[in-house]
Amino acid sequence: MNHEEICAKIKDMLVENLRIPADELEYTSELFGDDIGLDSIDSIEIIAGIDNLFGVQMTGAARENFQTIETLAKYVEEHQGA
Amino acid sequence: MSKRVVVTGLGLICALGGNAEECWNAAVNGVTGIAPVKTVNAEGCYANLGAEVDTPNAELSSEDYDRSSLLCIKAAGEALKDSGYEVTSANSDRIGVIIGNCVGGAVSIDKYYTAKQNGGGKNTDVLKMPAAALANNVAFHYGLNGTTANIVNACAAGTISLAYAADLIRSGKADAFVAGGSDSFSSLAFAGFHALHALSADPCSPFNHSNGITLGEGAGILIIEEYEHAKARGAKIYCEVLGSGVSSDAHHITAPDPEGKGQMLAISRAVENSGLSANDIDYINAHGTGTAKNDEAEFLSLHTLFDENDHLSVSSTKSMTGHCLGAAGSIEAVFTVKAVCEGVVPPTIGYTDENLANLKEKAGGIDFVPNTKREKDIEFAASNSFAFGGNNASIVFAKKPREIPDRTNNERVFITGMGEALGAPTAEISGDDYKEHGIKMAFYRKLDRFSQLQLISGMRALKDADITVTDDNSKDVGIVVGTADGPLTEVYNFQKTVCENGTAAGSAFAFPNTVYNAAGGYFSIFAGIKGYNVTNANSVQAGLQSLCYSADVIRNGDESIMVATGTDENTEVTRYLYDTLGILSSDKLGEGSVSIVLESETSAKSRGAKKYAELAGWASAHKSVEFGTIKGSEDALKKVILDACANAGITPAEVGCIFGFANGHPAIDALERDVLSEIFGADSDVLKNVVEVKQTVGEARAAAAAKQAAKAAECLSAEDCAYKYALAVSFGLGGQYSAVVLKKCED
Repeated sequence: MNHEEICAKIKDMLVENLRIPADELEYTSELFGDDIGLDSIDSIEIIAGIDNLFGVQMTGAARENFQTIETLAKYVEEHQGA
Repeated sequence: MSKRVVVTGLGLICALGGNAEECWNAAVNGVTGIAPVKTVNAEGCYANLGAEVDTPNAELSSEDYDRSSLLCIKAAGEALKDSGYEVTSANSDRIGVIIGNCVGGAVSIDKYYTAKQNGGGKNTDVLKMPAAALANNVAFHYGLNGTTANIVNACAAGTISLAYAADLIRSGKADAFVAGGSDSFSSLAFAGFHALHALSADPCSPFNHSNGITLGEGAGILIIEEYEHAKARGAKIYCEVLGSGVSSDAHHITAPDPEGKGQMLAISRAVENSGLSANDIDYINAHGTGTAKNDEAEFLSLHTLFDENDHLSVSSTKSMTGHCLGAAGSIEAVFTVKAVCEGVVPPTIGYTDENLANLKEKAGGIDFVPNTKREKDIEFAASNSFAFGGNNASIVFAKKPREIPDRTNNERVFITGMGEALGAPTAEISGDDYKEHGIKMAFYRKLDRFSQLQLISGMRALKDADITVTDDNSKDVGIVVGTADGPLTEVYNFQKTVCENGTAAGSAFAFPNTVYNAAGGYFSIFAGIKGYNVTNANSVQAGLQSLCYSADVIRNGDESIMVATGTDENTEVTRYLYDTLGILSSDKLGEGSVSIVLESETSAKSRGAKKYAELAGWASAHKSVEFGTIKGSEDALKKVILDACANAGITPAEVGCIFGFANGHPAIDALERDVLSEIFGADSDVLKNVVEVKQTVGEARAAAAAKQAAKAAECLSAEDCAYKYALAVSFGLGGQYSAVVLKKCED
């Protein structure tokens, strides 16, 4: 799976699980900032979603990995199959 | 002078035992009911403890009801027997049932869906799903025909139900109530709290190691009775019920306000409404769940309010019973009553020597009763409950008779604003509707449909009433949400995921919306409403009962402005449920939310509010029949109309127009026609133009019931309207009815 595909899968998961309108969600949108406004409960859901999609554990991962779809995808690429 | 209200009977079932005495003996001796869970599959979960009741359903009661109802019937039977209350056909309409509950029929949803996956699934389990069945099942079982309510304010429900019962008795609406709460151990709650990482891997020990809760199950029931009534029948009196306080944090949907402001408001209201000061309280049965957020906020609240009190003991019996959610407040009320009567404080268990040393450092002047009971004289004791949605409640019990301040008023109550999001078969909500009220995506995307409908209609009603909630008035504004089915879609979908993918797969995002009071919670958070906040799940008529409840809150002197609502959704799940049940035709369903602002005359006058109509009379009545049916409950419909007219000081002949509840179902339409004909005369003019709002909005259940009142108000407010009085009346499955009489404003 390439970077673009991983990003797309993460975006679908966020739209589906966290009811974020698809047209307001870019790969570089600040998820926890003013753009989308996610909170701690949402981060639990992201961790579960990433585990479910890619088998990658993000429990305890540093905050900066959760910034955008891009950073989440990068984390997945670096840890997939690890 | 305010009426004296007393406790005359106790009933309890939880992990500690099958009756009040057994449970109490275990609690004072620090026995735990917490053990590895048996009824929920905790595979893959980081925690596996619970405080379950070992008694199987068949031994609780012979009926085929959801477990929450069966636990409640068991405890209610004990309490009724204990009280010696003889229910006869002559007095049965003066004793009602008010039950607090959180998860509703979650166990039955689990059972139904699991069976369905394997090709089974009984339709009878569908009828067990809504929380609205609970109070009715208890009333039907014991032949009680006083009014009912299901207070579904999650973990504060059991305390609010007692407060509401006492208030209704003080206002003369009943002699007694079977009041309390009930909840069964469910995969819904276990998976939800697990997803939120709010479960403790060890037995919970609130205020000690605050690393999470342990869930429990059970039911606690108190017979709450008017003193003169109890005295006349020579009843044994346990203690007095003094004042109570209900408030909202308006902070966060699951987490308490870390500054504890809402908690302190509820506790202070309870203490002040009892005519007491903080220094009078001898014991508080804390909410004390064991989560870091609750314990820190409650610790701060208690210290802020009670640091001058040198004789206060505080304990959390959840360390033994687990957190029984909607039953928690009432189970703890039973313990609080016993503590007052016996002069013993049950402990919080789970302290090691090291923990005890830590406690010494942080406890200050408060005695947290670690590990072993404390014997002391208790004049006044309080019980706290706080919930998801930011709902807080506190209630005070006293050993001896005590006159409490009479805060009731005879204020006229006016409708000063209305708002709706309504449609058949579904309501339209778009991004523009949110923009209209400045609701950002980050907020509204968290809401399930039920909550979305409520938020839009609530904000529209406030805007229509020209009310801006500010720091100055936020505590004077309250909410009563009425619903038939609540967020059943969200509950069903959550449960489906858990059934398919296991308990560990529960969604942290969805779980907060599965509690029935989430909609009222989101509304209070967005609008900044910090007063009374209750959700009542009581079938279709709940959308009118919310007006009755709200008017009572204003007359009790608790708030000057109340937003009374009716809210129900129509989704694929709703249609599926009604089709399976066959009681209301799914193709006739509508959905939406209607919010009505009720305001005291003083408040309306002071801000020069426009007035649609006066709420001149209101009433609720009940004749117990099987939940899911209405046949045989005609007398209650008759009674509710006559009572509402009498309450408005008019005869039925003075009613100019009627807004009815007919929905196209032959039995329901015939019931309305027959009873209206009997009261108003089959050939009367008023019967010729009964307005049936469901012809346009569909059977939107509680939303349609509230719409009937809104439509009546709109009609009376029209300049060319010749009518002086309008009646709106609605039905509930199981035989519950509410009615309001609106009066045209002359000025």
